[in-house]
Amino acid sequence: MQYFFSTYGQMLLKAVFTHFYYVLISVSIGFCIALLLGILLSRIPKYSKIIIPIISIFQTIPGIVFIGILFIYIGMVPTTVIIALSIYAIFPILKNTYVGICEVPEPYKEAARGCGMSQFQILTRVELPIALPTIISGLRMSTVYTVSWAVLAAMIGLGGLGEFIYRGVGTNNNILIIAGAIPAAIMAICLGLLIDYVQKLVTPRGLREENSK
Amino acid sequence: MIEYKNIHKEYQGVSVINNINFKINNGEFVVLIGPSGCGKTTTLKMLNRLIKIDSGEIYIDNKNIMEVDIENLRRNIGYVIQQIGLFPNMTIEENICVVPKLLKWDKDKCNNRVHELLSMVSMPYEQYAKKYPKELSGGQQQRIGVLRAIAAKPPIILMDEPFGALDPITRDILQDEVKDLQKKLNLTVIFVTHDMDEAIKLADTIIFMDKGDILQIASPEEMLRAPANEIISEFMGKRGNFLDAENMACSDLMRTPVFTIKDDKKTLECIEIMKKRQIDSLIVVDKAGIFQGVVTIESIRSKGKAGEKINSLISKDFPTVLQDDVGKTAFDLLMDKKYDYVIVLTRDNSVVGIITKSSLAKALASVVWGEM
Repeated sequence: MQYFFSTYGQMLLKAVFTHFYYVLISVSIGFCIALLLGILLSRIPKYSKIIIPIISIFQTIPGIVFIGILFIYIGMVPTTVIIALSIYAIFPILKNTYVGICEVPEPYKEAARGCGMSQFQILTRVELPIALPTIISGLRMSTVYTVSWAVLAAMIGLGGLGEFIYRGVGTNNNILIIAGAIPAAIMAICLGLLIDYVQKLVTPRGLREENSK
Repeated sequence: MIEYKNIHKEYQGVSVINNINFKINNGEFVVLIGPSGCGKTTTLKMLNRLIKIDSGEIYIDNKNIMEVDIENLRRNIGYVIQQIGLFPNMTIEENICVVPKLLKWDKDKCNNRVHELLSMVSMPYEQYAKKYPKELSGGQQQRIGVLRAIAAKPPIILMDEPFGALDPITRDILQDEVKDLQKKLNLTVIFVTHDMDEAIKLADTIIFMDKGDILQIASPEEMLRAPANEIISEFMGKRGNFLDAENMACSDLMRTPVFTIKDDKKTLECIEIMKKRQIDSLIVVDKAGIFQGVVTIESIRSKGKAGEKINSLISKDFPTVLQDDVGKTAFDLLMDKKYDYVIVLTRDNSVVGIITKSSLAKALASVVWGEM
């Protein structure tokens, strides 16, 4: 153990940092795009019923294939990883944003229109706040997934905790595999808890109970 | 003043509003009523343009509503819906202030208004302002719904079956509150309901609709006295028969069912029946149910013999009325003579009921105090 940390300690710390960096950037980008797209799609529910299943097909393309293809075109730069991870992060958030907004009960929207709110005011004052708990649980799902997908970065030699796993697999060294897997798992759990906490903070008291049901 | 001119509306080729016209004066409480699917809610929602008008125009103070900016129009018309629709993500205070904020009132003005409104419905600011809608009862929520509608002092309020989901006691209290507010603030209210009692209680004018047409526009009294057609009187139910004392028929005053005996009964049997029922006379009919007369306990005692049939004892000299006769006939008979009751007959002389002093009193009381 002592030996492990003295040999790999520095490297592990760096890998955790890189991994975290990929997750943070990708999820942030994915979140912004997904939120925007989700809102846009919720304005055109008729078409969204067709568009969303099509997007979800992309979700089924294996990450390795996707990173591989991007690698050919963009090369061995972090951008490749970030683009791939962002795209994968989009879908859960997009779907929850869309569903969350569409499921805002009609009476609230009618009351908002009746009060004389504009479309944009209805979105920002009524629809998004009511959909927020759903959107954030999409964000949570995305984040946890992205932590595991970021392992693939090492496939094209771009570091992260995946490096330990790949090296471990390659050299038949179980300790290395575990040294990559455990921090990734801890990272996923911690980020999940953090987002749960944020969700509690931003959900108004009036919506809390419904959320826990 | 609000004016609907030749308003027409179709859904998928089916006409739901057929060229209706009416006017509403300022400060008037108008109730739109009718069976479901009659177009009353559609008519209401056209005023704040939640539903598009296909043809025709609506004017508010001589201004075509299509020419007013849609958001401004709505901010100047209060709107209360049945599902209440308080925003669950906002506190009571924020809910009340939705429209004032849209109109860019400053903070102090909003705050004062919330204090003023909550005190109007006896809900102390300190206790309720910071609560969320789900922490209130249904009745309290709809009170806030009404306050949200009047918060920015709009001259017109639309209410779409606002009390339909509340229990009868709460509904009654809220009806009183709304009527008080309307009078105090001189609001023009358009109120949709399918409950005739609610309409009678609240309305200055009732507009009765059916299948997209207006059947009658009248004050509650007028509509009760002279419903324009069958559909309306049916919708008002029994109330229509009872409320008009002058047109009350004997059939409205009588007690049913009535106990009769066949004319081949014997004297002792009749006495038994009278004893059992604690009455002193029996109404006699023949086999076909045709009224024959009355036997009294006195006539059996003085003239009857045990085992004899009652035919010869039947007295024809007893007051009867026809069921369509004016109620006053029965009233006069009961008051002037010493009889305890009057027998009500159909045109072919079968017995349908009796009018006693107590059935008369009950019917008259329902005229004075409503359905008993």
